[in-house]
Order: sequence, then C-alpha cells, then structure tokens
Amino acid sequence: MSLKSYSRGRAIHVMLVYTGGCNGCDIEIVNCILSPKFDAEQYKVFLTWNPREADVLVVTGPVTKHNEQPLREIYKAIPEPKAVVAAGACALMGGVYKNCYGDIPSEEIAGPVDQIIPVDAKVPGCAVRPQDIVAGLVSALPLLLNAD
Amino acid sequence: MDDKKENRTVIEAEVPMGTVHPGALEPYRLRLFVEDEIVRDAEMTVGVNHRGVERIMEGLPVEKANSLTEKICGICSNIHIWNSCRVGEIALGIEVPERAVYIRVIMGELERLHSHILYLAHGCEVLGHETFSMRLFYIRETVMELLRMIGGNRVQYGSAVLGGVRPRCELDEMRIQKLTEGMNLLEEGLNDFANRFVSDPMVMSRITGVGVTSPEDALRLACSGPTLRATGVELDLRTEMFEYDPFEYDVITEDDGDVKSQLLTRVFENFESIKIIRQAIRNLPDGPITNRSWEMQDTPITKSYIEAPRGTLYHSYALEDGRVRNCVIRTPSMANIGAMQYSAIGHHITDAQLCIVQCDPCFTCTDRAIQIIKR
Repeated sequence: MSLKSYSRGRAIHVMLVYTGGCNGCDIEIVNCILSPKFDAEQYKVFLTWNPREADVLVVTGPVTKHNEQPLREIYKAIPEPKAVVAAGACALMGGVYKNCYGDIPSEEIAGPVDQIIPVDAKVPGCAVRPQDIVAGLVSALPLLLNAD
Repeated sequence: MDDKKENRTVIEAEVPMGTVHPGALEPYRLRLFVEDEIVRDAEMTVGVNHRGVERIMEGLPVEKANSLTEKICGICSNIHIWNSCRVGEIALGIEVPERAVYIRVIMGELERLHSHILYLAHGCEVLGHETFSMRLFYIRETVMELLRMIGGNRVQYGSAVLGGVRPRCELDEMRIQKLTEGMNLLEEGLNDFANRFVSDPMVMSRITGVGVTSPEDALRLACSGPTLRATGVELDLRTEMFEYDPFEYDVITEDDGDVKSQLLTRVFENFESIKIIRQAIRNLPDGPITNRSWEMQDTPITKSYIEAPRGTLYHSYALEDGRVRNCVIRTPSMANIGAMQYSAIGHHITDAQLCIVQCDPCFTCTDRAIQIIKR
C-alpha cells in the first residue's frame, strides 16, 4: 500500500447533499456516521459539509429543478479522486416524485442523480438502512484508495 | 493618543447563506443583513425542495394518496399518514376501533420522541457539543428500534390505513414487553442527559438569553407547537383531539422564549410522551384493529388538524369516485419560519444558525405552495 492510499484511507470525508428528498435518508446517513451504534467514524469515515474537504459525495433525493445546478457545482468543487454514492429510492430512480399519475414526468424533478453526475455506488431502500450505507461507502472506497 | 478619533463607521453588509451551505444541513436560502456583526434583518426563502406532492396526490385513489403523504417528511412521516387517514375517516364517517386509536397514539408519541431527540441532537451539534449530540443519537436508537419493531421500517412505517391500523402493527405481548423495557431505558437515558445538560455552565451560558421571542410576537407570527409553548403560551392541539382524551399528561410551557426554553420544552415533552405511551400500554383495549365496514362515497372538502411533533399539521381533501381532489397540506415548519427570522434579529451573527435551529426547522416538508391571506 502506497503512502498516499494509506493516508487517504485514514481520513475519508463524506459530504452529504440533500436534493429534495423527504429527509428520511439524510437523517439515517447522519445517524449512521454520528450515532455510536453504527459509528462509521470508527472506520475513519467523517462527515463534512464542505465540498473542498470531501472525498465521497453522498446524494439523496430526486434532484429538484432548483437543486440541479448546485449539485453540478458541488461535484466540480470536490477534488480528485472522488466517488459518488446515490442513496435511497429517490436518488436511484426518482422515487414517488418522478412521475405524477402514471408515467407523466413531474415538472419539478430534474431526474435521478445518475442523469446529472456520474454515480459510482448505489444504495437502495426507502429509507436506506444505516447498515446499507456503510456497505455502500465501503464499496466506493477502492476508487479512492487505488487512484494515483 | 488623545487626538486619535474613534472609528465609528458601522459596516453594513449582507451575508447570504445557501442554498447549500456548510453551516446549514438542509437546503434553504438565508440572507442576513448585519451591522457590525449584529443581525438587523433576516430573510429566509424556501422553494428549492418543492416536489408538489399535492399535485401527485390529485386523482389518486384515497388509499394510495394516504400512503403518499408519508413521503412528505421523513421525520414526522407517521403523523402525515395519520392525519390524511383522519380526513378520510371524518369525511366518510368511519368509526375507528379503540385498539387502533391506541396503537396510533403509541406510534405518534414514539415519533414525537424520536423527532424531539433528533432536534436536541441537532441543537447540540450546532452548539458545537458533539458528545451530547452522539449521546442523544444513541438514546434515539432505542426509539428507532421500537418503531422498526412495530412498523417494519426505520423511517416510513405506514401504520395507519383508512379505518384502523395495518395488521403488521398489531401489538402482541412480546412487543408490549419490549415497549415497556424501551420506555424504562429511554427515561433513564433522558434523565441522565437532562441532568448533565442543565448543569453544564458552558452550554447554559451559550443558550440563555439568545434568540428571544416574546409570547405576543410568537402569536403574531402564528407559530405553533413547542416553538409557541416555549414562549409561555399554553396551546396544545392534543388537548382538543378525541384520540388523546383517555390519557393524562401535562402541557409543557417555558417562560423565557430563548434557546434554553426551546431546548428544555422538548426535553420535558419527551417525559410526557413516555407517560402517554405507558398509559396506552397499560390500558390497551382488546378488539379488532381495523374497521372494514364502510362504503366509499363522494364527499366535500374535509379538514383535519392534528398536533405534529413540530406544531399544527393541516390536511384537507375532497373525495370523488374514491379519488382525492383539491388536496391542501400545511406543515408546521411553514408557520414557524416567521419565528426563525424574527428570533435571529438583534443577536450576534454566530448565533443566527442557533436561532434558526431552535425553531426545529424541517425544510423538506416546508416547501408547499401556499397563499398567505393578510387580514
């Protein structure tokens, strides 16, 4: 293991972006990192709200029209190497908000996350379980550790 | 030294925050107009989260629409589906079995517990006291496990259906036993937290006298829920709901209206919720949990008000061929935005975030299309 990946592996910063979901997933993610029961901090995973500090971007919510541009800018502001985890049914496929009445797309929703920024790991669930989040974060880590 | 003139220039500046900002957890836009680090005016804009749940609900069968209301808010999801079912039950004249009412009250109070503990954890995080925050998240985990045991999911339980509760949410003896144990554990943990919290001089000096809202202003700004009760106004919708008639509990009020009273109101309301859950478990009546003997008919617009963890929640819709029409939802945080703006005025800019958090904001459910009619 090189020195870079050794030191990167000991300070993984996760940034959480809310893009218009119902808050359920967001709180489960905060819970999974801060709560002593799941405690992702013991694996050296920390929560941050600053994109320039972050390594992993966790996106929740169906990305409303107003949130589309901020999401792109946040993605640009994160330094390389970076990984994106889409968490929750809304982030994966728009959830219950994507279509109103059958398959008529809702005008409020800009689409699932993978239509806006590239997604590396997907965590399903409504709302996502903290155990799944830890698994999703861990599955995205090789991207960070194996990069130059 | 004597001829040096005092610099009296007041720097006026606007500090914008948002919509995504490292200091704020949820997306909203805040403009603070400051004079020498003292906030003179604050303006809060919501709207980035608007998803139009009412539009999606329009024309759906009423059972589907009810389960969709749960997706409005991930913190108080149960209260939304309860109130939405309540509208249908009032409109169609469905009599809910007593056991189902008790189970709904238990779910509602468990949700109030986890919402208030989350609020306290969020408040402690904004205060910069991460140990308290982690401690509270640990206490909250007990409630989440109980909710998962009853509803089957940690966030969206979907316990209420038209005419009762889902069969999944039936309380058998094992569940009642676990509820009793959980309540004991919770009371112990919260007592421990409350004692440490009020005896910490650093935390107390940080929150006393900050973000004061007077009762007159709170009423003028149409606040509701614990935000209003923390200013000294004794107004709780639970006292008017027939579901809460059999239970004995106190309406908690605090006098000062500052951050300390807001936090302590929630702490003491937790104990009242534990009290209600204990009474409900002890007196849980026997009988069916779902009433299926009702007929669908067309109804005019029916309203229902309910006490959510954050304040008064309003749902209304009309039924037409079993489908929902003219749905209107008004969430409690919408009413409390006024208090968030108002309480930040006159305080240091570093306290602005604390003043907003003290009103228990939930901006995901706040983004509704509403019309304010001034009289």
